[in-house]
Amino acid sequence: MQLSYFRRVAAGGAVAALAFAGVAAFTATPAYAATSKVSVVHGIPDTPVDVYVNGKKTLDNFKPGDVAGPLSLAEGEYDIALTKPGEPVGSAILKVDNAEVPGGANISIAAHLDAAGKPKITPFVNDVSKVDAGKARLIVRHTAAAPAVDVRAGGTPVFKGLTNPKEAKGDVDAGTVKADVVLAGTDTVAIGPADLNLKEGTATIVYAIGSAEGKTLDVVAQTITGLHSAPGGVPSGDGGQAGTGVQTWWYALTGAGVLLLLGGGVRMATARTGRK
Amino acid sequence: MTVRNRGALAALAAGVAALTVATLVACNSQPAGNVGVEEASTLAASATPSAVEGDPSVPVTAGELPAGARIVPPVRLVIPGIDVTATVNAVGINERTNEFEVPPSVDQIGWYRYGPGLETDAGSVVIAGHVDSAKQGRGAFFRLRELDQGDTLTATGSDGKARKYRVVAREEYAKTKIPLERYFARDGKPRLTLITCGGPFDAKARKYRDNIVVTAVPA
Repeated sequence: MQLSYFRRVAAGGAVAALAFAGVAAFTATPAYAATSKVSVVHGIPDTPVDVYVNGKKTLDNFKPGDVAGPLSLAEGEYDIALTKPGEPVGSAILKVDNAEVPGGANISIAAHLDAAGKPKITPFVNDVSKVDAGKARLIVRHTAAAPAVDVRAGGTPVFKGLTNPKEAKGDVDAGTVKADVVLAGTDTVAIGPADLNLKEGTATIVYAIGSAEGKTLDVVAQTITGLHSAPGGVPSGDGGQAGTGVQTWWYALTGAGVLLLLGGGVRMATARTGRK
Repeated sequence: MTVRNRGALAALAAGVAALTVATLVACNSQPAGNVGVEEASTLAASATPSAVEGDPSVPVTAGELPAGARIVPPVRLVIPGIDVTATVNAVGINERTNEFEVPPSVDQIGWYRYGPGLETDAGSVVIAGHVDSAKQGRGAFFRLRELDQGDTLTATGSDGKARKYRVVAREEYAKTKIPLERYFARDGKPRLTLITCGGPFDAKARKYRDNIVVTAVPA
């Protein structure tokens, strides 16, 4: 992995915040399909839950650190509620009504702690545009009860000053990189280090979860495949020995042949008439 | 017969000879032609079965950091029909050109390490090699365009296991028109795709116009 490239991408300021307003904005773009792919990420420590969508239990005993989905959901508004396992939807511990799911998008809904440690639900729109051949996309989301952080790759900050609940992303050379999370502007490691295997043609989404105070900081990862592109071409020869089709000399030969035939014919004809 | 007539006859004969040679050369220079175009596109089109519609259960996975997948790179390719025995290198993308990094040594060939390996149960394993080079002469894939449906080849993986394949298609595309997405697909039926250059050679640009693509399936 080339860190210089990585840094360049990060310096490009690809830091984006996506709240519900952000998701709604996506509906303005033309949707090619009416359904969206929706994943659910559990980032609240020590709190298994049942997940209800529009009053119907969709996930049973969903554990912290797990990722569910993707579900295919039609474009529209959804009520999402989390309860303690086995409890009725009426006694939800966390809920969002009328969450807007646009058509044709890829969304991750994260249940996590806000910066102050209070549980909340944040939807993120996943960038599933194609990556160039040889590249992988890394998306980091700050969904932990922790202050601003820097994300480092090989000891060098690549995403700086990331705060809850924002994301930073960049397309980087595919491969393995040693990454960690430090308190912004410091060398105080909050999470990691860990080896990130960024597979070509995929998006790896890493969520920082848990609580700094509760010493439960951790990561949850989600991978989206199928974002690869083909190489620009396959150049595999510059010798010309295998060339098919005809070359310049062929045209010269053919031209000469035609001229000889014409010339000979004309001569023959004039010779005959001359003798008469 | 006059001298004049004899000269005219000689000219006619020379003309016929020149045209005959030209015709023969033109016929030999024709591309071998495409076979199995339909098969090749069908292999790519057959989608990997997706989740059943209306399946009530939602897949749940532990959100662990992705681990390195077990991939079996091909290390050797043998094609008896065209006398090929070549070492296969794992290659990627040329940073400058964004093109497939075919190994510079023409007797070695390159496997696209970002795509599937020989273990795959879906998608296209791509191996490309030089047809020739100005400096090194004929390449490992010089005779690739002679392959025909039913020819067999053997790819050996880094696991030491030899896997047999059977050619189902040979196609020639102008490089500007080749559907590379199809040959670098990671879905569809498992297949081995061999690519080299071919077609008319542009001596000024030192480039072939076309790519020759051979598609093979596990035999």
